[in-house]
This record gives sequence, structure tokens and C-alpha cells, in this order.
Amino acid sequence: MLLEVLLALVLGAVVLLVLRRSKAAVLKTEDGWWGAGSPPAGAEDESIRPFRVETSREEIEDLQRRIDQTRPVPSLEDSQFNYGFNSTYLQKVAAYWRNEFNWSKQVDKLNQYPHFKTKIEGIDVHYVHVKPKNLPEGRTAVPLIMVHGWPGSFYEFYGILPLLTEPANADDVAFEVICPSIPGYGFSEAPRKKGAWTRLGVPQARAAGVAIANMRLCSGRPGFNSVCAARVFLKLMRRLGFGRFYAQGGDWGWQITTNMAQLDPTAVKGLHINFAPVENVGPLVILSILLGRRFPGLFGFTELDVKRLYPRVEKMLVEPLKETGYFHIQATKPDTAGRGLNDSPVGLAAYILEKFSTWTDHEFRNLEDGGLERKFSLEDLLTNVMIYWTTGSITSSMRFYKENFAKGFYPPHARIPVTVPTGVAAFPNELMHTPKLWAKQKNHKLKTYTTMARGGHFAAMEEPGLMAQDIQKFIKVVEGKK
Amino acid sequence: MQAVEAIQKALQELDRPKLQLLALSSVGIGLTYFLVWRRKAKKSIPLGDGWWGHGQQTLRDDNKIYPFKVETSEDEINDLHRRIDQMRYTEPLEDCGFQYGFNSNYLQKVVSYWRNQFDWKKQVAKLNEYPHFKTNIEGLDVHFVHVRAPHRPGQKVLPLMLVHGWPGSFFEFYKILPLLTDTKDDLAFEVICPSIPGYGFSEAPHKQGFCSLDAARIFLKLMERLGFNKFYLQGGDWGSLITTNMAQMKPQCVSGLHLNMLAVTKRGVGMLLSLIIGPYLPFLVGFTREDVRRLFPYFEKNVYDLLMESGYMHIQGTKPDTAGCGLNDSPVGLAAYILEKFSTWTDRKNRDLEDGDLEKKYSLDDLLTNVMIYWTTRSIIPSMRFYKENFKTNPQNRVDARTGIFVPMGHAAFPNELMHCPLPWARWRFKDIRSYSYMPRGGHFAAFEEPRLLAEDFVKFVRKVEGKKR
Repeated sequence: MLLEVLLALVLGAVVLLVLRRSKAAVLKTEDGWWGAGSPPAGAEDESIRPFRVETSREEIEDLQRRIDQTRPVPSLEDSQFNYGFNSTYLQKVAAYWRNEFNWSKQVDKLNQYPHFKTKIEGIDVHYVHVKPKNLPEGRTAVPLIMVHGWPGSFYEFYGILPLLTEPANADDVAFEVICPSIPGYGFSEAPRKKGAWTRLGVPQARAAGVAIANMRLCSGRPGFNSVCAARVFLKLMRRLGFGRFYAQGGDWGWQITTNMAQLDPTAVKGLHINFAPVENVGPLVILSILLGRRFPGLFGFTELDVKRLYPRVEKMLVEPLKETGYFHIQATKPDTAGRGLNDSPVGLAAYILEKFSTWTDHEFRNLEDGGLERKFSLEDLLTNVMIYWTTGSITSSMRFYKENFAKGFYPPHARIPVTVPTGVAAFPNELMHTPKLWAKQKNHKLKTYTTMARGGHFAAMEEPGLMAQDIQKFIKVVEGKK
Repeated sequence: MQAVEAIQKALQELDRPKLQLLALSSVGIGLTYFLVWRRKAKKSIPLGDGWWGHGQQTLRDDNKIYPFKVETSEDEINDLHRRIDQMRYTEPLEDCGFQYGFNSNYLQKVVSYWRNQFDWKKQVAKLNEYPHFKTNIEGLDVHFVHVRAPHRPGQKVLPLMLVHGWPGSFFEFYKILPLLTDTKDDLAFEVICPSIPGYGFSEAPHKQGFCSLDAARIFLKLMERLGFNKFYLQGGDWGSLITTNMAQMKPQCVSGLHLNMLAVTKRGVGMLLSLIIGPYLPFLVGFTREDVRRLFPYFEKNVYDLLMESGYMHIQGTKPDTAGCGLNDSPVGLAAYILEKFSTWTDRKNRDLEDGDLEKKYSLDDLLTNVMIYWTTRSIIPSMRFYKENFKTNPQNRVDARTGIFVPMGHAAFPNELMHCPLPWARWRFKDIRSYSYMPRGGHFAAFEEPRLLAEDFVKFVRKVEGKKR
């Protein structure tokens, strides 16, 4: 009898140890170096240099000349935005850009906040650093890093920055915000090194002990992917003296801030995301997909959940296929895809602004003007495009897709959970909808999950007020608990 | 003999009601089988109709055929040079070859040749060496090249239509044309090379929905207008699908169909079985050793590689207007986009090379002439729309995917083609395969890369068909 009990205890302890170890898995990473050639011998230059966005008459004239040279091709009759950016409306945007858009004025607007650059792992990383101006006595600002995605930039946050750094409500937390540019985007230097993968045949893969599932038939060194970006941004925050901070992100920003929380859970106090696609489809998720329509209560599905997820084939297969062509070509042939866009500003605008239309609301595909100016001003949209145009960074921004999907869809970090307090803002028109149950599979400390009233993929830019409100709510829950 | 006696004896032993039952059930089974077989063996697909011009159709088609000359101007060439000079270079990643797409360093060399040595006027004169025409069909001006065989006594001349694909054009056939029209033996061809509407000098449709079935019908009308009531067809890429559709619409007009690319249509269990057993017991499923060499490892070659190479198809099949917009302003962007295919689809190993081995099989003059056809006609966007129009309805459920092809068919299987279709799989749809050849070398752009090999195989196929006729 005693022997049985002892055996059970030992077995239980072993099981617990195994379970605990897998739960507390931390994402590992190696250091990297992304500059040209080989890393220099001495220590890296860690200085932080102030930076100003600049322009010149040549730059503006060159842009106008190229816009004048556009060769428009008429869209098919009654096709609206279903074949991509509508040609008739594109001519209107181009005319505004050519004749009314004032880039000098927008550059001044960009410079209203202080910009900086600093060298990390061989490349210049750009960021905006905004401190609250009127902080009451005895209060400290809470540090927060906000990471953009594609085809966005740090500029997407210009609407929400004042709401976070100078909140109207005295109860609200005041933030000190860092908005970096992902390396390869905008004013951050692009990595020069690629991923070095060798594809293995099945027998070699078996010999090397590499898992054959999930198309991971390769070995080698990764290129500059989201984990590398996360590592770089962790170094940035450390360099700026922030030992513990909050992180916010959508699109690639979600992936990068999530990786930051996985790499260093002690540094990331809390993670707020507005995009949370499921990477690891476990049995619970599958069950909820199969039965969720009939038994929504069983899985905590709300009306919005059911509306967004069903009918299954249409919402989970056809719709994503319709919208992921850009993803497919950028993840395989980024240098080809970006080549024409770097010479043709109107082509670049069409490519980028098509997303600002369709990803804000899928229904906009049926509008002749793509509904673009319903939620955004042309001035703001084109400022974002100009950041890609003036820095020539469209190709390097696309390479990020290839580097992240070199190992297929289930890289190591997809299988590791997030153990820092997380808040999810679920916007109704987001590209991929994630019910609370699914978010919980990855984020083990889900503190807030809010179904937002309105808004799509570019939430910070489209609905800054709503987003700021939810960030405040999340912070209060995390800080309150303390 | 004994069997017959045995059957007779067995029948005699049956009593009346059982005999009646047997007779009835035999008739019943026979009838059912006959009906099912008849329904399955639909020998043709409906022609349909269409009109693709601006606004409403007002006038009837003008049936006249107008001669056409390719032209250029100083303005056109200067504009091209100006845009090339404005190219904004992006540094490639170190040592990436063509893995991320067209290598920027090599692109600069191509562009420099284009700017300083390429002579578009000379190339236009070359294009005009053969007579071009245009005629209005279903509201669109359809362009084609018409090459007659020089009259030689004792020579039989057969009509033939060659259909190109994407990102090619009628120009791909300029090397094979003399091999087919100007032969010294008893067989020659009179060749028609049209441009698919939306490509090159053919007007682009103004209405939505223009797919391969519509292109096929328009080309059938073209042949009819030119006075050909029986002819051969040859095609690869989209040309393969369009000519196949033509053979399905009017099999009585098609003497023979020769294809250098066969799309593999999934056939469920049969295909799965051949994939599982194939590598080990190829002969059991009708595979040759060469089939095995080309097909396997299956996942690597047919799934992974296709995924790596089909990004263009995905974006063109969903957002063609966006994808083509920048390419229509930037000739360098257009060249990179198109020539990347001429590199990778000729041999996938070219992805590892800094120059994509582009000039191994093609001259820059020829490659850039093809690009210029897209550039000067501004047809990159309409050419991309063709993908969306064909993928709108699930291609496997479309009427042509569910119907067989009954005209004599020949297939030239080139080793570096994008996908390999073994003979047993081809037989699922093509019911009268007369020739199937493993070509010794060559890739996707067969007529452009290996004109002699393709011509030889085509003529061999035609002789087989003509031989059987006599």
C-alpha cells in the first residue's frame, strides 16, 4: 500500500516537472549582426543621435515628375475595388498628391516629436521618443513601446500619442512612448544579411533529427525575422534605461512585441495587442470551430464571434485566400515584387493604400472609391506612403515576410505561450478574428479582452480614442492587481 | 466453346420467372450503364457567346481583316530611356542569387544594356518581318501574325494555330516559325499566332469575366473567318488551356492538339495511389523511370516548389489592378517581374545564381523585345486580369474541367517544366493520346528555348495523326 502511494507520488512529481518545464519554456535566441561585410573588431557604437526628417526641393520635384509620368490603365466596368485599387479613384488620389499635398508641411508635423537613431547589431535603428510635457508632481510616466506593422509605420501612432502622453482624464496613466521603426522600414536601416537555409531531403532530415512535419525541412541560420526584431528592440529599451515597460502592437507589431515578451518576460510588464491570429491550432480550437456555431455558449463565443467565423469555408478559407496574394509573393519573391514600386510612386500608393481600404472594412471592396476617405484623411495616408517612398524601403519591408516564413508556419516561437499579462482589443473589422478562447491558448495571463465598438486592422490610426481607452483599461487592471 | 455450352445448360435449367428476372435485370443494367456512359462521355462543351467592348453592343461585328504594322517613335524610345535613367536602385542582400526574386546587381547590367545597346527600332523591323493583322471579334480588336508557307511542289500545307501564355507573347514563336513554315520536305504549315485579348497588340476586354473559354471561342471564330475549317493547335502555359478548350468546343475542327504543358487535374484516389505506390513499384501504376525521376520527391517538387513559385499567381488572381500598377510606370520593374520567370521557369536551379543564368538560353535582345511588347502596349494589367477571371469560379468545377478531350493529342514533356504529368494521368482527360515524348532538355518556354526540339516533336505528332488518317 505504502509502495503504491510512493510510486504515485513519484510519478505525479515527474509529470508535474515535465508539464511545468514545457509551460515555462522561454524563447531562445542568438546574437546577430546585420551590417555590411563582417562585424568590426572593437565595441559597438552605442551612442544615441538625434535625428530630423528632412526633405528637399529635388525630392519633391522628382516625386511630382514621376506622378506626371503615370500611365493609367482603366479599370473594368463596375469592378470597384474588387480587382485591386480602382483606376479612376487612383487618378483622383494622384492629382491630390501632385497638386495639394504639402510634403514640407508634413515633414514639420513628423518632426513635432523628437526622433533618434542608434546602432544595434550593426544597423541604425530609428525611433520617436515622446515624454509627457506636464506631468504632475510625484507622478512618473509609464514606459511603453508601440510597434507598427506592414504597410504602416511609426506615423500610424501620431493620432494616439497625445492621448497617451497627455491624457485628459486625471485618473488615467500618462505614458512615455517609444515608437521604433522595424529595421528595413522607413528610417531604420535595412539588414544586409539574408537567412542561410539549406533544404534537406527527407532522408537527410531524418538523419539530422529535424522534424519533418510542418515543412521544416531545412537547417541553417535565420534571416532578420520577428525574433531578431524583438531582440533588437529589447536592446533598445535597455539602452534607453527602461528595465521594465509595456508593449503594444498590431500586425507585425503584434508578432514582435509577443516575441519580446517571450524572450524576456521579466522586462515586459504587460502586452497589449489588437491583432492575435492563432498560430498553433490545438484540439480545443479545432473543436470550437466544428461545434462553435451550434453551441457557442460552450466555447464562450459571442454573436460577433459567430458572425465572423461562420460560414467556415467562406470566412476561414475563401476570404483569407482572396486577401493574401501580397503575402504570398512577398514571402517568396520580395525583390521582384518591390522593384517596380520603388520607381513608381503612384504604383506604390496603389499597393499600400489598397490595404488601408480593404483591411479597414472588407465591404469597401464594393465601393468605387474604396471608402478610403471615410476613416482616414488623404494627407495622413500619403504621409505614410511618403515614408516608404522617400526612404526607398518598400523592398526591404517585403523581405521581412520571406525571413519570417522561411521555416514554414510553425516556427519555435509559435509553440511557446506568452506568460506576461496580456490585453486583447478585438476590433470588429480586423483581418482575422480571434475569439477569447483562442487568445487564451497562447496568452496564458489574459487580463482583458475587449470587443471594440468599431474599427479594423489599422486600429491606432483609425480609432485612436477607442484604442487609448482600452490601453488605459488594461494598464489599470495590471497595475491595480499590484 | 465449353463455356458457352455451360451457360446454355445453366440457362435451360432456370424456370420461367427466373429467366424473366434475368432478362429484365440484364436489360436494366445495360440501359443504366449506357445512359451513365453517355452522360459522362460528353464530347464537347458549349460555345457560349460574349461581347467585350465599351458600353452596350450596338453594331454587329465588322468582319474585315486589316493589315497591321508594329510601329514606334522617338517619343516612345526617349520616354523609355528617361524612365530607365530614373530607376532607384535597392541593394540586394549579400549572396542571395535569385532566391529573393530578380537580383538587383544583375538587373543593373540588364538595364544598362537596355538603355545603351538595345535597338528597339531594329527589333520592330524584326517583328514586322512577318505579316500582322487585326480583326474585330466580339467587340475586341484581335491581333495575329499570319505566316504562309512558300509554295513548294509536292508539299502538303496544313493550317496551325500557336497560342502563347504569360508572361510571353506571339514573339516567343519567332524562332520556331521558320522551322514549321519553311521546310524542305513534304510537310509544311501555314501558321496563325494570335495575341490573347489583353496581351500585346490585342485589345483588352472592357467587361469582367473574360476567361480561357472566351479566348478559345474568339480564336475559333478567327480561324473560321480566315477560312480554315480544320487545323492543328499547339500551346503551352495559358495557350495549353485555351487550345484544349478550343478542342473541346469544336472537336470536328481540330485535326490534332499538341501541348508542351499539361496541368495536372487532381483525381482523388487514383492519383493518391499512384503517388504512394509510384516511387516503389512504378510499373504497377504505369509510371516509367523517367516519370519517377521527375515527380519525386513529390512534396518537395510539387508542393513546396509550387508554393515558392506561385506568389505571382496568387496576387494576379486576386488583385491584378494593384499588382500591375507600378509595373506600368516602371520599365525596370516590369522587366524584373517578367524576366524573373524566364530565369526560374527555365531551370529552377537558376535561383541560386547571381545572374539567374538568363543569358545561357536566351539573348537579351529577344528577352527585352518580349518585355517591350508588354511595355509599349501597356498590357501588363489586362494580362494579369486573365488570372483572376479564370480563377473566379473553382477551376475544377468549371465545365471544361469535367469534360474529356477526344481529338488526337500529343504531349512533349520537357524536363524542367513547372509540373510533370505522367501519361497515365494525362489519359484521365485526353482520350486519344497519339504521342507522348520525354524531351531531353528544356523548360517552360519551350518554343523560345528549344524551338528545334519542339518543332521536331510536333511534326512527329502530326505525321502520326496524318498517317492514321490515310
